[in-house]
Amino acid sequence: MSHLHLSFYSAFILSSLGLAFHRTHLISALLCLESMMLSMYVALAMWPIQMQSPSSTIIPIIMLTFSACEAGTGLALLVASTRTHGSDYLHNFNLLRC
Amino acid sequence: MMEFVLFLGLLFALGGLAVASNPSPYYGVVGLVVAAIAGGGWLVSLGVSFVSLMLVMVYLGGMLVVFVYSVSLAADPYPETWTDWGVVGYGFGMGLVVMVGLVVSGVFGLLSDVGTVNGAGLLSVRVDFSGAAVLYSEGAGFLLIGGWGLLLTLFVVLE
Repeated sequence: MSHLHLSFYSAFILSSLGLAFHRTHLISALLCLESMMLSMYVALAMWPIQMQSPSSTIIPIIMLTFSACEAGTGLALLVASTRTHGSDYLHNFNLLRC
Repeated sequence: MMEFVLFLGLLFALGGLAVASNPSPYYGVVGLVVAAIAGGGWLVSLGVSFVSLMLVMVYLGGMLVVFVYSVSLAADPYPETWTDWGVVGYGFGMGLVVMVGLVVSGVFGLLSDVGTVNGAGLLSVRVDFSGAAVLYSEGAGFLLIGGWGLLLTLFVVLE
């Protein structure tokens, strides 16, 4: 594995571990999701470089578009839950707990 | 020049670690900015400058600005810092998990013996795993006949 692949591979793994072990705030889980999207963007941008195919350059751009949509949706959920629960502490979101 | 590219790659991974083990969302946003700038510089060093410009303008200038004022809505007035023991433990633990995964998967070449089944690392290429996988690809007929025979035996035993 070249060091390029190693770098975004480890960044993706670390961000997904951070998403899995979210501790106090909902927004830090959303930030880990954003950094997963960033490492995927860099990984997809490697494709036109290493395969020498310029038309594959649209793939990371389209991915960035949908990642922006997803970030907006996540932030809207964050604002809505802050309005109802008063903060975004994850241990307050216990309406569905049995 | 080569060392600078390696340093940018390391900075990208460290930014990911900073986001994952953040003591507070303020520091997570700093890690994300560092990772985005390192990734943008890295893409420029590889020649694709338009993709890097798009990353910096759309991602940093658009999405992260929105995140920063959402963080100011949602985060604590007295955040914990990088030197609190829980945060150091998280950062160290996640870095350890990534290192163990890299060593076991054969990237560093530490676990490969010459001439044995572990020729390309402990888990990268194993003769018995890839041989048994043939049962599910070209040997699917054997799989179906074996399953049918087991089902018939079940009915025989239940009688």
